[in-house]
Amino acid sequence: MTSTLQGITLKGSSELVADFFSFGINSILYQRGIYPPETFSRVTHYDMSLHLTTDVKLKNYMNNVVAQLKEWLMECTVQKLVLVITCLETNEVLERWQFDIQCDKSAKENCAPREKSIKAIQDEIRSVIRQITATVTFLPLLDTPCAFDLLVYIDKDNDVPEKWEESGPRIIDQSEEVRLRSFTTSIHKVNSMVAYKKND
Amino acid sequence: MDIPFDISSYLCYQEVAAETSSFKMDLDDDTAVITTLKSFNSFINRPELPQRLSESSAGSGNLQSQYKRRMELLEAAEKVQSKNRYLQLDLEKKQIEMSHKKARFELEKMASDSARDLEHQVDQNQELLGRIKRLENKETEAAKNLSEQEEANRNLRKNLEGLQKKLEERDAKLNAANQTISSLKDESRELMMKIRNQDSTISAQTLETQELQEQLDLQRRKYHEVSQLCQNLQAAESSCADHLFKIKELERRLVLQEQDIAIVKTVKSEVAKVPDLEKEVKLLRDDNAFLRESRENCSLLKEEVEGLRRKLERMEKIKEELINMELEKERVTEKLQAWENVSQSTGFNIRKPEDLSREVIQIQQKEIALKEQNYALNSRVRSMEHSQSELRLELNQQRNKTMEEQKKRETHDALVRRLQKRVLLLTKERDGMRAILESYDSELAPTEYSPQLNKRVKEAEEVLQRVQNHNVEMEVSYMHLFHRQKIEDLEAERQRLEEQNNILEMRLERHNLQGDYDPVKTRVLHFKMNPTSVAKQQRQQEVEALEEEIKHLRELVCSLQGGGAVAHSGSSSDREVGDLRKQIESSELKNQRLKEVFQKKIQEFRRVCYVLTGYQIDLTTENQYRLSSVFAEHMDDSLLFKKGSNGNMQLMETEFSKTLGEMVALHLHHQKSIPVFLSAVTLELFSRQTSA
Repeated sequence: MTSTLQGITLKGSSELVADFFSFGINSILYQRGIYPPETFSRVTHYDMSLHLTTDVKLKNYMNNVVAQLKEWLMECTVQKLVLVITCLETNEVLERWQFDIQCDKSAKENCAPREKSIKAIQDEIRSVIRQITATVTFLPLLDTPCAFDLLVYIDKDNDVPEKWEESGPRIIDQSEEVRLRSFTTSIHKVNSMVAYKKND
Repeated sequence: MDIPFDISSYLCYQEVAAETSSFKMDLDDDTAVITTLKSFNSFINRPELPQRLSESSAGSGNLQSQYKRRMELLEAAEKVQSKNRYLQLDLEKKQIEMSHKKARFELEKMASDSARDLEHQVDQNQELLGRIKRLENKETEAAKNLSEQEEANRNLRKNLEGLQKKLEERDAKLNAANQTISSLKDESRELMMKIRNQDSTISAQTLETQELQEQLDLQRRKYHEVSQLCQNLQAAESSCADHLFKIKELERRLVLQEQDIAIVKTVKSEVAKVPDLEKEVKLLRDDNAFLRESRENCSLLKEEVEGLRRKLERMEKIKEELINMELEKERVTEKLQAWENVSQSTGFNIRKPEDLSREVIQIQQKEIALKEQNYALNSRVRSMEHSQSELRLELNQQRNKTMEEQKKRETHDALVRRLQKRVLLLTKERDGMRAILESYDSELAPTEYSPQLNKRVKEAEEVLQRVQNHNVEMEVSYMHLFHRQKIEDLEAERQRLEEQNNILEMRLERHNLQGDYDPVKTRVLHFKMNPTSVAKQQRQQEVEALEEEIKHLRELVCSLQGGGAVAHSGSSSDREVGDLRKQIESSELKNQRLKEVFQKKIQEFRRVCYVLTGYQIDLTTENQYRLSSVFAEHMDDSLLFKKGSNGNMQLMETEFSKTLGEMVALHLHHQKSIPVFLSAVTLELFSRQTSA
């Protein structure tokens, strides 16, 4: 994942972004308490200590999704990745973590690697994950049992792979939105934001 | 016809031509021969004279004369030929005309024949048509006759049918009549039989009546006997009643006698008191005399007392009046002081009431003046409002006028533009005309035109220049205004659009943050086996399991509430429930038995009490006990005792207790013992019963 080559290729950029999503989503799941904290183990990545789940089913699901996501990133067809947290009792969406992905399509034709250091990218990713951890302070408490889902916004003309199906956008009714930091690998740019349901 | 160019021959020919032309004038005026002849004639007629002179100088006279003669002969021959031809042609023409006429005649004949034939045909046609009509009429008449005949036929057939029906009915009636006759005969036979039977019955009944009459006599005799017995009974009853009456009288006398005895007893006792009474009478007589004396004193004293009382009343009245007067005096002095203070408080110079009235009048006058001022001000205000409304109307009118003016201005602007266009066109025309004029100028010499025209042209050009300048200035000013307005409008629109743009951008950003997407370009996918759906499924299963458990528990509860036999074995709670039920049943049975035993014991006890003490004690209401004696004369005789708050029993008044006044006084008030009283009552009642 941390390539020793000088520049960033399309493949390398897709891997970096997929890694970010994997660790980022794990962090969100740990911070919001969707899964019990004892099911998470600590690992070191991006020069910081992160949480990774040990639940087998969850790991399986994450691997499937991230693998497919890498493919889509290589094709530059994915537009957004959304983590949706729904309350199990009322079936309404409580939180929505949205990551917009902008791909520089010229990198598909032009195979020359771009000049950007891995360290800079990792610094940016680190600041994003730190900010995600910090947002937990102002997000409303999730005191009902919740489950999460990952939605991917891709171009319409793409085929739907096996094991995937169409879904609604699961937009929150009456939400507050907060824009978070973004990072770029010079081929892919990822903007983060979180929307949560206003509790009156 | 070739025309010979020899002049002499031509002359002869000219004569022929003149003649032929006279013929041919009738037929064709426009032939080429004639026109050429005419033109040649005209051409030759001009230089006539010199050519005719040359003719006579000819030396060759003989040849010429011969030739002339030949020519003349030829010409004559030709003439003859032509005449012949002409006659032939004439003949032909006439023949042709004749043939034409004949043909026409024949044609006319044929036409007339055909016309006649046509007329014949027409007549025949008409005759045939007439015949056809007649035949048609006859046909219709025949058809009518036919139909009439048919109708007559039908009617006749109907009549026939009717008559047949009538015949049949009559037959039926006859049959029916026959049947009735037979039935009537049967009936008459039956009636005869009945009559005979009835005769027999009558005879039997007469026998019966005789028997019944004998019975009736017997009954009457019995009735007589019974009535006699009744009378005896009545007599006995009346005697009984008399006896009873006598008994009652005797009883009454007895009662009276008893009363007399009592009276006698009391009289005796009273008589014993006589001497004491006599003494008392003496004393009383003395007292009387004394009292009579004192009565007179009394009356005198009473009069005095009355007089004094009246005085007292008067004095009291006077006192009251005095007090009232003093109060009034105080009030009046207060008022006076107040009035005096008024003068001090109001600052007026008041010492007498006249001053006050004067001041009041002054104040009233001031008030009147102020009211007038008020009215004046009100009227002014109204007039001002009126003028204000008028001004508003004017303002509206002015606004309308300005709007109209603006509209006019706009129309004027349009006019100006149109005029500008016209001006342009005119300038172009002018330029064109100028060009033409210049072209003309260049062609012809400048001295040809008078200097006045040049001056005029120059003047016109100057005027045009001036007009142009003026136009240009007007244009410029209008364009300025126009441009300014346009600029302002465009600026405003630009700002508005910018604001809209900003708003839309913000909205778009918001929607993007919320997760909106364009369904045409984007698709939203998720993994089929995602944690949310898995969690939902688990939840659903849990909910279903819980619901089943709830159902199961509800059934249990229902069965327990129904109290049926515990069918479910193997659970400890059911055993407990069975034990509890058994306990409940046994305790209920015990209760029942205890109640019965108590009831019996109580009844027994009460009976024993009644028997031993002679009183039946009933608890009527709370703390009230009714005692009825065994020796009571009437059913309702009872004593009522109430338990007081301190635990003592008190006798309440009843009808019966009123009759026992002595005993109450003696035993209860004097001796203060209820048992003694009760026993005394029992003894009394017993004695009454046994003695009476």
